[in-house]
Amino acid sequence: MVVCCGLTNHLELAKRPDLYGGPVIVGDWEEHVIAASEESLPFGIAPGMPLRQAEHLCPQATFIAPDPIAASRLRELISIALYDLAPVVEVRVEGIAWLDVSGVVKPGESIREARRRLRSAIGREPRLGLAPGPFSARVAAARARPGRLVQVEDARTFLAPLASRELPLDEEQLERLDLLGLRTLGAVAAIGPRELESQLGREGRRAVLLARGAEPDELTPWRPPQFTSAHRQFEPPVEDREALLFVSRALCGDLAAELGLRGAGAKRVRVRLVYESDEPDERVSTVRHPLSSAAELFGLIGGWIKEWQPRAPITELWIELPVLEGAGRRQLRLWAGNDGTSEEVIAAFERLQERHGDDVVRKPRPALLSSPLPSQRFDWVS
Amino acid sequence: MQEMQQLEHAINTIRVRFGSQALTRAAELPPPQPWPSHTPLDRLTGIAGLPRGRLALLTGNGTCGKLTLALGLLAAATREFAHAVVIDPRGDFDPWALLPFDPELSSLTVVRLDRDSSGEAATALARAGAGFILLMGEVPEQWLGPMEAGANRSGSVMVGVVDAPGRAFAHASSLSLGFTRTDWVWERDQLVGLRTIARCLKNRVAPPLGESELEIRYPLGPQLAFARPVIEVPLEKVELEWSSAAV
Repeated sequence: MVVCCGLTNHLELAKRPDLYGGPVIVGDWEEHVIAASEESLPFGIAPGMPLRQAEHLCPQATFIAPDPIAASRLRELISIALYDLAPVVEVRVEGIAWLDVSGVVKPGESIREARRRLRSAIGREPRLGLAPGPFSARVAAARARPGRLVQVEDARTFLAPLASRELPLDEEQLERLDLLGLRTLGAVAAIGPRELESQLGREGRRAVLLARGAEPDELTPWRPPQFTSAHRQFEPPVEDREALLFVSRALCGDLAAELGLRGAGAKRVRVRLVYESDEPDERVSTVRHPLSSAAELFGLIGGWIKEWQPRAPITELWIELPVLEGAGRRQLRLWAGNDGTSEEVIAAFERLQERHGDDVVRKPRPALLSSPLPSQRFDWVS
Repeated sequence: MQEMQQLEHAINTIRVRFGSQALTRAAELPPPQPWPSHTPLDRLTGIAGLPRGRLALLTGNGTCGKLTLALGLLAAATREFAHAVVIDPRGDFDPWALLPFDPELSSLTVVRLDRDSSGEAATALARAGAGFILLMGEVPEQWLGPMEAGANRSGSVMVGVVDAPGRAFAHASSLSLGFTRTDWVWERDQLVGLRTIARCLKNRVAPPLGESELEIRYPLGPQLAFARPVIEVPLEKVELEWSSAAV
């Protein structure tokens, strides 16, 4: 495994880029500090301490209330942005993004692109680490300068001189390590996993494996949500079909771009027209092969809109793709011309079958070619 | 001088309104991309193949070999394109007639719709980018524009087979080849084929190159690997032109 870790601000801080440059502390009143900006750390602020204490230590800091929904949304956005760079991507609200670049043809390009996308999402240069596992990659990234990469070949050697406080243990467990004289990761790695397990429980065993660079933890791959939609409001309401077609083409383009980023295709398509003075109209279809390109989507939706008879001026147009699945691409037929558009041609066949019945599109398959009866010579497959 | 300025002004107005490519010198236009069908028709089109993104028509009354040529083209297309489509409004296309041309049947799809809906099918498939579309009849006039635009965008090769095309259909085509049967071919008192003259009646992609005589053999008896159903027999006239040019 080769894991790249991008370390940024806690996402609670990243959602307020206007406060960059000054001490910022995130936390609920009467609760603990959730995140603190780098500028507040010299005042002794640390995540987990009571907020009252933080206020006492750094009264000039800007205190903001946490917004877990916004932070989670930002996490989703960053995950979407990094999704096509590596097979496995995990992003945490603490400001850690891991990409498992094992097997990626050009990992350097993926890492450079990840840095660029993280910078545009967070507004600050991320610190990057490349190591054989998520723990060592995170520790390496913490030692990198902003916008730079620290690469680790041998995790055990790299981790050995570092303080045992790097381990993901709670304060009490870290104190016990200190009392046991295990002050570096090298010292932790030198004892047996069972010995530390007897002292700290399962966390002790895990700590030894982490210190040895064995990386017992695996990344939890982020999976895109299986639903997406796009919509446009019309002000003033429209009645013109051409305008609807124009807007739907643009929406199909947006959706196709998103699907392409995810490597997904739409198995189901729903179009909803919201009228100014009437109940909304909708049309739904399940397609046989997932639609993923703008032409495929617009081919279906444009056909509907062309024959739709709106009852009143339209105020909103919704295109929803409620069921997504992997747009598994076929092996292209070598040397076959126009095979790149094969999916669109198949989609066109399906639309003709939806409109006129399955029998209108058929493929001949040889059956009894020597039969004198023409009807027996071929099987017709719809 | 003033006229030149007015002309320049008019050109600028058109370019500003419709884009810089709206007016292009004929010499700068890109040549149409041909699809080499490896049939004798390639020489008649003047671009060494059938034009992509345009409609080519094979016309002629009665038994004159146009369908045989079309089947030859279709079989070649099934071997070269991912999708070769036959739009068959009359419902009389028989793939058995295609077998002597050694087609790749997995690429062949037949769309059977009535005449009115066949235009919709042709337009949708041309727009989607089907490699080759064989129209076994005319397309309604209202679909000709969208069909041409779709084919032009995707580069589909479209071939229509009709006895006598209507005005709109003939106008929409970029290449029209007329076939006239001149003789039957008999061997040992058995009809084995026909001779036909293929004339280039209309050509928007190259200067018309005149005509050619073809001998079309029916698939009778055991088929030999080297036997070709269509053989080109150069006309005396053509040979004379070549020899005079050589001199």
